[in-house]
Amino acid sequence: MGINLAGIIFANLYEDNIPELTAKRTIASVPFGGKYRLIDFTLSNMSNSGINNVALLTRKNFHSLMDHVGTGFAWDLSKRRSGLALLPPYGNHSFANRIESLYHIHGYIENLREEYLLLSASDSVANIDYQKMFEFHLKNEADITILYKNRVIPENTQSPIVVSTDETGLITQMLVDPDTTEVCKVSAGSIIIGRDLLLKLVRECISRNTLSFKRHLLQNNVGNLKMYGYEFEGHMSVITSLNSYYKENMKLMNPEVRAELFNPLRPIYTKVRDDAPCRYGLTSKVKGSLVSQGCVIDGEVDSSILSKGVQIGKGAVVRNCIIMQDTVIGEGANLEYVIIDKDCTVGDNVKLSGSESYPMYISKQSTVN
Amino acid sequence: MYPKQEVVAMLLAGGQGSRLGVLTKKLAKPAVPFGGKYRIIDFPLSNCINSGIEAVGVLTQYQPLLLNEYIGNGQPWDLDGMQTGVTCLSPYQAVDGADWYSGTANAIYQNINFIDRYSPEYVVILSGDHIYKMDYADMIKAHKKNNAACTIAVIDVSIEEASRFGILNTYENGEIYEFDEKPEHPKSTNASMGIYVFTWEKLRKYLIDDENNKDSDHDFGKNVLPLMLNSGERMFAYNFEGYWKDVGTIDSLWDANMDILNPRVPLDLKGIYSRNPMLPPQYLGENAEIQNSLIADGCEVDGKLEFSILFSGVKVGKGAEINSSIIMPGAVIEEGAKVNYAIISENAVIEKGAVVGGIPEDFPNRDDWGVAVVGDGLRVAQGAHVAPKAMIYEDVEV
Repeated sequence: MGINLAGIIFANLYEDNIPELTAKRTIASVPFGGKYRLIDFTLSNMSNSGINNVALLTRKNFHSLMDHVGTGFAWDLSKRRSGLALLPPYGNHSFANRIESLYHIHGYIENLREEYLLLSASDSVANIDYQKMFEFHLKNEADITILYKNRVIPENTQSPIVVSTDETGLITQMLVDPDTTEVCKVSAGSIIIGRDLLLKLVRECISRNTLSFKRHLLQNNVGNLKMYGYEFEGHMSVITSLNSYYKENMKLMNPEVRAELFNPLRPIYTKVRDDAPCRYGLTSKVKGSLVSQGCVIDGEVDSSILSKGVQIGKGAVVRNCIIMQDTVIGEGANLEYVIIDKDCTVGDNVKLSGSESYPMYISKQSTVN
Repeated sequence: MYPKQEVVAMLLAGGQGSRLGVLTKKLAKPAVPFGGKYRIIDFPLSNCINSGIEAVGVLTQYQPLLLNEYIGNGQPWDLDGMQTGVTCLSPYQAVDGADWYSGTANAIYQNINFIDRYSPEYVVILSGDHIYKMDYADMIKAHKKNNAACTIAVIDVSIEEASRFGILNTYENGEIYEFDEKPEHPKSTNASMGIYVFTWEKLRKYLIDDENNKDSDHDFGKNVLPLMLNSGERMFAYNFEGYWKDVGTIDSLWDANMDILNPRVPLDLKGIYSRNPMLPPQYLGENAEIQNSLIADGCEVDGKLEFSILFSGVKVGKGAEINSSIIMPGAVIEEGAKVNYAIISENAVIEKGAVVGGIPEDFPNRDDWGVAVVGDGLRVAQGAHVAPKAMIYEDVEV
């Protein structure tokens, strides 16, 4: 039985925060946690919550995203009557902001069987049961429900929304980009709204040329509409900079974080690649690390994350690094606090080092000798 | 209308594999896990698609539940075409009665209709218990060139080993003049690999002839091949060079797994497809020490590992030591447990301080030593011992 809720994901939202990693890809397709992409978490959460129809709204740089999601099969979103829809810009329509994007896909939205929509960004990593949030929305007969987390606003967040609620969760005040360093109810990137209401609000915004989703569609309607806040209590990583990308990845070394994020009852799915199991050679020395299949390790790896198909040469030392798909580290190389993107080659005996607060970044397909 | 296929492959996967003991108690031999993330059947299935064969029948009979589920719609092997792909063929009931597959040839005989749908020129008969990578297209090319009725793949074995195999004696051009089943004094070292290419028109006729012979065991090696040879059909040997291993026994299964860890063994796992469990990357803890091993997704290892293979989702506690062993999916090796030269089946639990298996060097009489096997879902209690060579069917208490 499907749920009366469809998903809409914004695949490019907030990608300016990490220009390094999004130079050639959407934020949704940024690699995370060794074998995943950020979109895997949002798509898996939606799929695990019983959502059958998901639209991926994207406006540029979407080849890697298309390649990754394919037909949606890996997330069980490739069905006869429902599934994943990739919605890039068409005609001369502007997809510059969320209001305009939603306006231009109104045909898709009107044709959905589902009467409620879950709108989500794709810059965060969490295991969220949206079904519970949807039950909360229905029980309160809310117009809009906003997912929030009690936390300090992550550094570098673009126009964070902070809400105040009464004891029932009704939102009494909404601030955009407030000046605070206290723990507060920070919006966590997902909202539930009725389909017809969304279309009506989007149309109003378009007609007035008020195109800020946060300020015009949400903030201006506090008081007019029944808006609720729904707290997410679990582990959540929001990627707001290269620095936070590094730190949030490294949190996966914590067994409690892994146990929650990779809950076997609500698995995180990703595109399958037929990699062999990871091969550790006679001279390998690996500890405190997260390693994906297809790796071949003959060197030393400590406190690092290796994506699929990474090769670490004999005598190489890799510490506190994130090494992405199919990158080859030569013999005797020495790397510390380095993030290396896909398909790079680091020559024999090369030394690279960043620092914990400012990791070095090597871009996709680079050769370092 | 089914699209015509030049070649249809038929994979014999119905055998019990009783020599694997507890490993095949609940599943058919081709479904036995192999090589850290595969099941044995992944090898012939991947070979088929990599050889351009798109219609494959899998003959199942013994404990087919897991095998059927694993093969599913064939998607992981790209064998999920609209009207081609992989089809599981179980024994069935028909107007004139119902019968189990009474032999390898009978299993194919009962599925003549399946093959006829594709009107193939050639049929490839494969076994579901061999580990190898082979381009069947090459073999079919040789079959065509020789204008043969049947081509049998052979591998060169040592003269000492030859008496364990079916040996083919051939003329210089490769044409077979004699079959020698497990000969005491082998005349050649061409061992049959149990891989046959037949011209379908010919095979179809001999299958029907064999079925009508009440004295036949309806077996390819024993009945159909000799019948064809005696009838004067052109039968050729096809020399295969590369890695090939029959994994029908505990020792050969263990050996073949260890071969993957040996860089000198020419078996590249690239191009072998399988179903992939959705598990996170493996995590190696602060106390992990890993040498010459293979580890799959979802494992959590905080112990010491040497010459071993961990399948998906295996947990190895702090201070546990695993040497020359194969740990199948979901098994747990708790803190301080020791596992030497053993096969631990799916979801088995080796509790704290338990010891499984032993090191061959510790046994003056090598016949007392062997690979220990613990069956799936079993528990070896805290501090308990499982002797080398033991085959464990029930929980082990202290």
